Amino acid sequence: MNYLQPELRRALAADYAIGLMPSTARRRFEGLLLDDPGLRAEVAKWQESLVGLTSSLAPEAVPERVWLNIVARIEPQRLHVPPRRPFWSGMRVAALACTLLVAIIVGVIYNRDTPAFNAVLVADNAQPALALQAFERYLKVEPLALASVQAGRSLELWAIPADGIPVSLGVLPDDGEGRVELSARQRELLGAKTTMAVSLEPKGGSPSGKPTGPILYKGQLASL
Amino acid sequence: MNGTAAQPGLTSQYSDEPRARRRCCVWSVLISSVDADELRHLLAQCALGDRRAFETLYRKASAQLFAVALRCMGNRDHAEDVLQEAFVRIWNSASQYDAGLSAPMTWMVSITRNKAIDQLRKHREEPLSDEQAMALFDPTPSAHEQLETHRDATALQRCLDTLEGMQRQSIVTAYFQGASHSELVTQLAAPLGTVKSWIRRGMERLRRCLES
Repeated sequence: MNYLQPELRRALAADYAIGLMPSTARRRFEGLLLDDPGLRAEVAKWQESLVGLTSSLAPEAVPERVWLNIVARIEPQRLHVPPRRPFWSGMRVAALACTLLVAIIVGVIYNRDTPAFNAVLVADNAQPALALQAFERYLKVEPLALASVQAGRSLELWAIPADGIPVSLGVLPDDGEGRVELSARQRELLGAKTTMAVSLEPKGGSPSGKPTGPILYKGQLASL
Repeated sequence: MNGTAAQPGLTSQYSDEPRARRRCCVWSVLISSVDADELRHLLAQCALGDRRAFETLYRKASAQLFAVALRCMGNRDHAEDVLQEAFVRIWNSASQYDAGLSAPMTWMVSITRNKAIDQLRKHREEPLSDEQAMALFDPTPSAHEQLETHRDATALQRCLDTLEGMQRQSIVTAYFQGASHSELVTQLAAPLGTVKSWIRRGMERLRRCLES
């Protein structure tokens, strides 16, 4: 087809702007638009002409869950997992353990960073699978008995507040251990009525911002 | 709910391009109170990755875009999905917005409609629900009649009125349903050639009228 013919360009731009093109033709046309500023201008003129059709529509209140879903989509949370180290000698492990113990005790005494809530997530057969502790700014995740996850799949952690709309907290690392940093909005979700759940998702987490796979584990937060 | 309530008498525009200024009344007072300069500024901030600007943009534009999604989909759940997809797209392609080409709201309405059209095509492969079938064949709540209730003599409405009935109906149906020619043939119960010429001629007349 000769895309240089002005009448044809104008007609195609009109078809595209009003929504008449079948999907394949639309994709092809969008390809043409990328390298053709004149064609983009033609489409923009039609869109500007037609947009008035929407001007009589009264604004509609949008449920807040839409915004929460959008945020979950554009800000995928990732767990911060330290890289694995090669095997260390028993002495060094012991020395490290002692240092950590002291650091933790000092940390607990001085920061009083004690968990506000905790939860044990169980599988369908009531077998405990994952322990969670919710601190002021992060969640600590500890695997108890996680099912192994196939390559190409991920486990995703969700908070389900009283309104029942799940909000993603991030994707679990393959061995299930790590920390989830919490944003202020996510902290507000966590309370004694919040159910925590883990679903099986495509690698990297649900593409839609909502759980798409089966819920494997769940449990309710309880205050300490 | 946010700044988008009607403010009678306000005729400010989304775009201050000369082209848009000529058609100063295309936008109804309902949405013209969202300031185009501010939206343009917010989109520029989004292109730089400013999440706060994106939230402000969402608060300002989402109610109007939700109305568009709802008009296309005829179903709140589907319209919510469309709005979500549209805003993810707006965030991801804010840097592609060309302020010299279209007003910010026009750009965002186009993205929302494209997402709605994608969804409608997907749903159309499944059998229509009663509700959707009603929306297709029940002529009463048509956009044109909704326009009649807002007959503020805006340029587009005046120009739509110069079209023949079927030209007007086929344009409005195509705009909100994103139907292909063959689907319009079924919906409007007319031969393909006729539907095509209604739309082609109708669109050309509309453009000439708007540009005059």
